[in-house]
Amino acid sequence: MIISRQKEFNDILKNLAENDIFIIGCGKCASKLHVGGEPEVLEMEKKLLTSKKNIVGWNVISSACNIKSWEEILSQNPAIGKAQALLVMSCGGGVSVISGCAEIQTYPALDTESLGGTCCEETVKEQCGLCGDCVTWMYGGICPVSRCAKSLLNGPCGGAIEGKCEVYDRPCGWDLIYEKLKKLKKLEYLEVFVAPKDHTRNGRRTI
Amino acid sequence: MSFRDKLLSGDFIVTAEISPPKGTDKKPLLNEAARLKGVADAINITDNQRAIMRMSPSAACSILQDNGYETIMHITCRDRNRLSLQSELLGACGMGIRNILVMTGDHPSKGDHEGAKPVYDLDSVQLLELVRKLNSGYDFSGNRLEGRTDFTAGAVSNTRLDYVSLIKLKKKIKSGASFFQTQAIFEADSLSDFIDKIDEAGPKRPKVIVGIMPLRSEKNALFLNKNIAGIKVPDKIIKRMREANDPASEGIEIAADLVRELKSLCDGVHIMPVKDHENTKKILEMAGIR
Repeated sequence: MIISRQKEFNDILKNLAENDIFIIGCGKCASKLHVGGEPEVLEMEKKLLTSKKNIVGWNVISSACNIKSWEEILSQNPAIGKAQALLVMSCGGGVSVISGCAEIQTYPALDTESLGGTCCEETVKEQCGLCGDCVTWMYGGICPVSRCAKSLLNGPCGGAIEGKCEVYDRPCGWDLIYEKLKKLKKLEYLEVFVAPKDHTRNGRRTI
Repeated sequence: MSFRDKLLSGDFIVTAEISPPKGTDKKPLLNEAARLKGVADAINITDNQRAIMRMSPSAACSILQDNGYETIMHITCRDRNRLSLQSELLGACGMGIRNILVMTGDHPSKGDHEGAKPVYDLDSVQLLELVRKLNSGYDFSGNRLEGRTDFTAGAVSNTRLDYVSLIKLKKKIKSGASFFQTQAIFEADSLSDFIDKIDEAGPKRPKVIVGIMPLRSEKNALFLNKNIAGIKVPDKIIKRMREANDPASEGIEIAADLVRELKSLCDGVHIMPVKDHENTKKILEMAGIR
């Protein structure tokens, strides 16, 4: 799941030069996180109307990052033809897919934070650092790239105070790694020297 | 005697830490260094310490070396990727810097450029490996260098180590750290476990240079306990600071007593005052070192 949060409304409004707007929500992650589903789209419509924008229509499509064709979106949402701009309430992936197909100005309403998930109805953020070289098996399934604020691969920085990360309000990722490896009886993994990441593997070169 | 020779000699080592200027004025740097002439065997120059932007440590080290001081250049993983780390190290060696202290580095969010991109392309263990490679005449990618580096590399550590931190310490030793400069301690008792762990390294045993931070007030001690990882000012020291008529003098006395005690327990001390080196010489004289 892609973890996103809503931008401040005034920041959205500041950039939204056009008047006739069509709002697109996303039925996947953004809906589950309550940042781009139907209630949030309706709330956005209300706020934009109050700010004297003309909302020509809205729709929560099943998945903003996974569309068959723009023609299909247009045929299902003819009101887009009257819009000067789209406001997309999805992660950056969805915004990019939509704006790559649509031939009008597209604005993001969300900021994309991290790759996470949900477990026991709780949202878990920053579960994967998208390094393109997954080594979580050595770390008790805990991604050091995303769970350690400094993405350290060979052990903690020593900056945690009473188990709390020196950077973020969360436990030290390396404490979690230790506890999990201890539970799995795999503490010997901690002793392996881990070489620096090969950043050609993170996929950016294939764009 | 060079710092490297001093490490090998077994003599008690004194190092002291200076932050480079926040600007281009060299005077504060040279004035602080002058206080350490004949006092410190080498001067540590910090690398944007606490993520506060200052003059580059290689430049500050070079200025000091030109004025006759031996330096230990700090190099963190926070601000440079592997290309930049290597070119900085080649440049430092080219300018005559021979000692480096490798560390992860405080996160940018702790400093005065909070929005800066944290790099951490390498971690401190990987950087030590890289230094070893440069010392052998090759770069990270295995290309041969026109002239190898000749660094004595050290690393940092807290003296109280949990399981994972101890493993990291051992990795640093394996990756070529020949000395450790520790976080500040305030009582010698807390050191014996750490020294035992270091002794386990056998023939590769790195030298241990223990951090000394002269306290200035009770408030200063409480601040350190609350905000600085790896520091624990014991209650009895806090009490001494609270009850002292002149807390700054009390802090000097506490530091001098500790240095005197450490002479037989470790390989050296590293003085890192909160403010400046006004009292460093005095502390060492009181401890019977200089």
